[in-house]
Amino acid sequence: MSEEILKSLAQLYAIITKQDGGVTDSEKTYVVNSFKKRLNLATAEQYIALYDEFLKDGEGKDDGKKRLTSVKDSVKTLGICRKINKTLTQKQKIVVLVELLEILKSEGKESAQQQEIIDTVAIAFNIDKDEYKTLQTFVLHNDIQLFGDENILVINNRDSSIIPGNAKHIHSDQVDGNIFFVRVKSVDMIFLKYTGEDEITLNSLNIGPDDVTLFSPGSTAKTKRGGVFYYSDVLTRFISESVSVKLSFQVNNLEFRFANHNIGLRDINISEGSGKLIGIMGASGAGKTTLLNVLAGLETPYKGEVLINGYNLHKEKDKVRGVIGYIPQDDLLIEELTVFENLFYSAKLCFKNKTDEEITGMVNKVLDNLGLIQSKDLRVGNALNKSISGGQRKRLNIALELIREPSVLFVDEPTSGLSSRDSENVMDLLKELTLKGTLIFVVIHQPSSDIYKMFDKMFILDVGGYPIYYGNPVEAITYFKHVSQQADSDKGQCATCGNVNPEQIFNIIEEKVVDEYGNFTANRRLTPKQWNESFINRFALKRVEDIKQESFSILHIPGKIKQFWVFTVRDFKSKLFNKQYMLINLIEAPLLAFILSFILRYKNNSTSTEYVFRYNENIPAYILMSIVIAIFIGLSISAEEIIKDKKILKRETFLNLSRNSYLLSKVFILFMFSAIQTFLFVLVGNSILEIDGMFFQFWIVLFSVACFANLTGLIISSAFDTAITVYILVPLLLIPQMILSGSIFSFDKINDMIRSKDKVPVVADLMAARWAYEAIAVKQFRDNGYEKYFFKVEQKENIANFNIVYLLPELNERLDFAYENLNAKDDSLLKISINNLAVLKSELRKQNKIVPRLQPQDLELLTIEKMNAQTYNKVKAYLKELEVFYNKIFNDANKEKENYVFALGRLNGGTDVNKLKDQYFNESLSDMVRNATAKKRIVETDQYLAPKLDYVYFSPVEVKGTFDYRAHFFAPVKHFAGNYYDTFKFNIIVIWLAGIFLYILLYFDLLRKLLNVFGKISIPRT
Amino acid sequence: MQIIQLEGTEDTPKVMLDKAKGIYEVSGRSLPEDAAEFYAPILNWLTEYAGQSNPSTEFVIKLEYFNTASSKLILDVLSKLEDVKGSKVVWYYYEDDEDMQEAGEEFSELVDVPFEFKTY
Repeated sequence: MSEEILKSLAQLYAIITKQDGGVTDSEKTYVVNSFKKRLNLATAEQYIALYDEFLKDGEGKDDGKKRLTSVKDSVKTLGICRKINKTLTQKQKIVVLVELLEILKSEGKESAQQQEIIDTVAIAFNIDKDEYKTLQTFVLHNDIQLFGDENILVINNRDSSIIPGNAKHIHSDQVDGNIFFVRVKSVDMIFLKYTGEDEITLNSLNIGPDDVTLFSPGSTAKTKRGGVFYYSDVLTRFISESVSVKLSFQVNNLEFRFANHNIGLRDINISEGSGKLIGIMGASGAGKTTLLNVLAGLETPYKGEVLINGYNLHKEKDKVRGVIGYIPQDDLLIEELTVFENLFYSAKLCFKNKTDEEITGMVNKVLDNLGLIQSKDLRVGNALNKSISGGQRKRLNIALELIREPSVLFVDEPTSGLSSRDSENVMDLLKELTLKGTLIFVVIHQPSSDIYKMFDKMFILDVGGYPIYYGNPVEAITYFKHVSQQADSDKGQCATCGNVNPEQIFNIIEEKVVDEYGNFTANRRLTPKQWNESFINRFALKRVEDIKQESFSILHIPGKIKQFWVFTVRDFKSKLFNKQYMLINLIEAPLLAFILSFILRYKNNSTSTEYVFRYNENIPAYILMSIVIAIFIGLSISAEEIIKDKKILKRETFLNLSRNSYLLSKVFILFMFSAIQTFLFVLVGNSILEIDGMFFQFWIVLFSVACFANLTGLIISSAFDTAITVYILVPLLLIPQMILSGSIFSFDKINDMIRSKDKVPVVADLMAARWAYEAIAVKQFRDNGYEKYFFKVEQKENIANFNIVYLLPELNERLDFAYENLNAKDDSLLKISINNLAVLKSELRKQNKIVPRLQPQDLELLTIEKMNAQTYNKVKAYLKELEVFYNKIFNDANKEKENYVFALGRLNGGTDVNKLKDQYFNESLSDMVRNATAKKRIVETDQYLAPKLDYVYFSPVEVKGTFDYRAHFFAPVKHFAGNYYDTFKFNIIVIWLAGIFLYILLYFDLLRKLLNVFGKISIPRT
Repeated sequence: MQIIQLEGTEDTPKVMLDKAKGIYEVSGRSLPEDAAEFYAPILNWLTEYAGQSNPSTEFVIKLEYFNTASSKLILDVLSKLEDVKGSKVVWYYYEDDEDMQEAGEEFSELVDVPFEFKTY
């Protein structure tokens, strides 16, 4: 309280006490005590002196008939009230008002003047008239007959029929006289007053008879005879009408087994209704958290069932949607968001029908209730970078569930790591929730006496999952003492202080047998099984009434699109705040592009003094590295995404939020990042290396592989539990992409087992890098600013050339060989001949489609049996004819090309076509896609001949079936379903189809499921 | 506007509120049984008057005595005058009634209306 207010109070006290002929001793005592209660002794003296000063300041006058308050005092009172109004909260004002009324009472006789002043103060404080009246009666009177207001509660040992009006009543034989409670509803305050002969304590402090004391949340009033009244009990009485949730929670013969078939829980039976706070205790490893998880539906029981209003929690999940809330031990907060934002987005995902303003209002209200409103704009931070305290974090975690008001709430060790003060706050919070009808199960470890007694019931487990107690918490202590035949077994709590010691329970349960030397042995006096038997014999389960098939008010979860949007905004906001992350992500790609392209900007001095793109031998390497970088960046930004959210995801499964929306929001944000990163990469890299006119083509391919990598990253992020595992996996995913990209190692020179003679091996087809590399290489070669004019004609020219130089001589050779060895005795020679003829037949069939001179039956004669001189001559002649045919094509193409060069030169204003070539055409890339260095130019495979050079000009040589997509590397077109598609487009589509496939894997979390299957295989012990 | 004219009694003040004549006066003794009820019409009148006030309003308070309950309502009356443009309070007190003088001074600090103090 500020000095000014204390001064005002001193003055107010003075004005009131001096009325009616001056201050009485009792009034003075009251004022002195009041200051002493609030302040330290020295300061109190100071204000008491001030009070005395004000007293001297004149008294009222007498007009003959009655004493009158001086007009000056009246106006002064108003001035004081105005000052107080500006500083004190309504709750504090109520406390002041109660004190003023107590002054009035302390005098012991009626005083109209004082009464009038206090009435005026009440009006000036804007206190509700009826509430003031009730409060006034409560403070000034002790006659039970006057206490008929509904905001009054009486506890006594009498029958409730003596209670007047609408007052509430609790019967208790442990109370002498009456304990009165009054509730000031508008500010939610409760005051207590005791009239009787006994002693009564409030939070272990004695309170005098007739003293009006604030009964704050979490308080406990105790009578000497052992009556204990909790704040929650009292509050329940006042608000009992408002609880309307009907709930039955039945657990029948539940048994749980772990994956290794060990029994985790045995024969658990629980029956509860709404509005209860149930504690779960047990030695470490007894299965507390397991029990909580099974009850919450996170784990499936081996036997037995959990019924909520008759619905089986594990089998009819859709019927109990959103009914259950779960607060795990670890944080569910998004560290980068503020306290407010955490709660706001969480609420937004729960309430479809509410506008942003309404949700903001709800969030602020909850934060206010939890005392978090001042910290609402603080970032949550992590354990190392704290901005809110542990207690606040815990409360915020609870708030996430609180705001959507589940009917059954499971809380795992809410007080671990908190100070005793914070622990009590958190437990108070839970206790208050039960008042609204929520059934709460709490795993609690080493509770303090006060917290222990807050529970309505305690469920105690022993090692091996044996239930050994289920009932009243304080009685638990007497029960265990009794069974172990301890002295004093009827006393649950300390007779003098009322404290209980929950640790005692475990000391008793785990008591060890002593050997003859007095040392404790490892054996327990009573085994868990014995405790369990004792429990079963002693206690019968009292079942609450089964509420059958009563439906719940199901959460209004927003639609998938809205969820997607909320997830996206939430994720984006949290990323945006992480400045390091944003900076690195945006700088990484262009920086790598710079490093790469700067180093690879090779000036081939033998050709020119300037840098010429055409002669930079590093372009193929640049393409490969770009792809590797795109994959690497794509993997690394996504690999931790889901792991980070794992806890939050676990919680959100309770809300039945759409996994699809969640994943799509992740995918959306990652794709955005990838788009920007690859954009910057290509911008920098292609500019430095002067790769002109290919910006979009490079970008779309790199973006596609980056997205592919994003999805791969998400899959492993979803399947594995720790970030480190994921990062160890990154090379495993990346290196094969590099090896099988077709750039570093030629597909012609790899292990026979996976090699294909003329096509890209199937394993390489599984690599996104190979599709991307081929797409860029082919596109860059074929459609660059120079080659685009010449590709068609060069294709004709080069194919004709191949036929003339390699194919026709080969065919001639094979024909001659076969003809010569028609009657060979040597088996191996015969075999070669047979094969040669087969190859000849299939090749000639193809050629005959282009130059149809042979009859189908002519081809049929090309076997070792039917072959004769006539056929030989016919084929020979045909091959000759083909040679002529292809020579003409070759010559025509050559001429055409020259024309083009001439036309192009003229078109560009007489410039040298070579300039164009220098700018757009790259020799090294050309060598690569034409396989210029290959020694063997033609290869026999599967009874046909395939070219080993000029890859980029040849369509897929041999198509087998409709769906055969395979081709040699760098083929300009690809076959699928009877059509030929441009390689660039085809490859990008392949990458995206793979992406869609990965998304499906991700959605169903198939990798994780697969890993789980492996995890379940237990190695048999010998 | 209606005129409010109340004759004073032992416990209630004389009240005269007349817009046409420009007379606004509360005088005598104020300790009514129910102060809120007594002052309600006066407060209503002032609320109405605030919207259509004369260019200047000299509100005369010439009280011998008022009780605590009345003091709150007098404060309410004075607060209403804050909304009346060109208003002024003329606070009369007996020459040697220091209490009444000081009460007037206290009031003048609580509201944002000019006060003029006169003795009689």
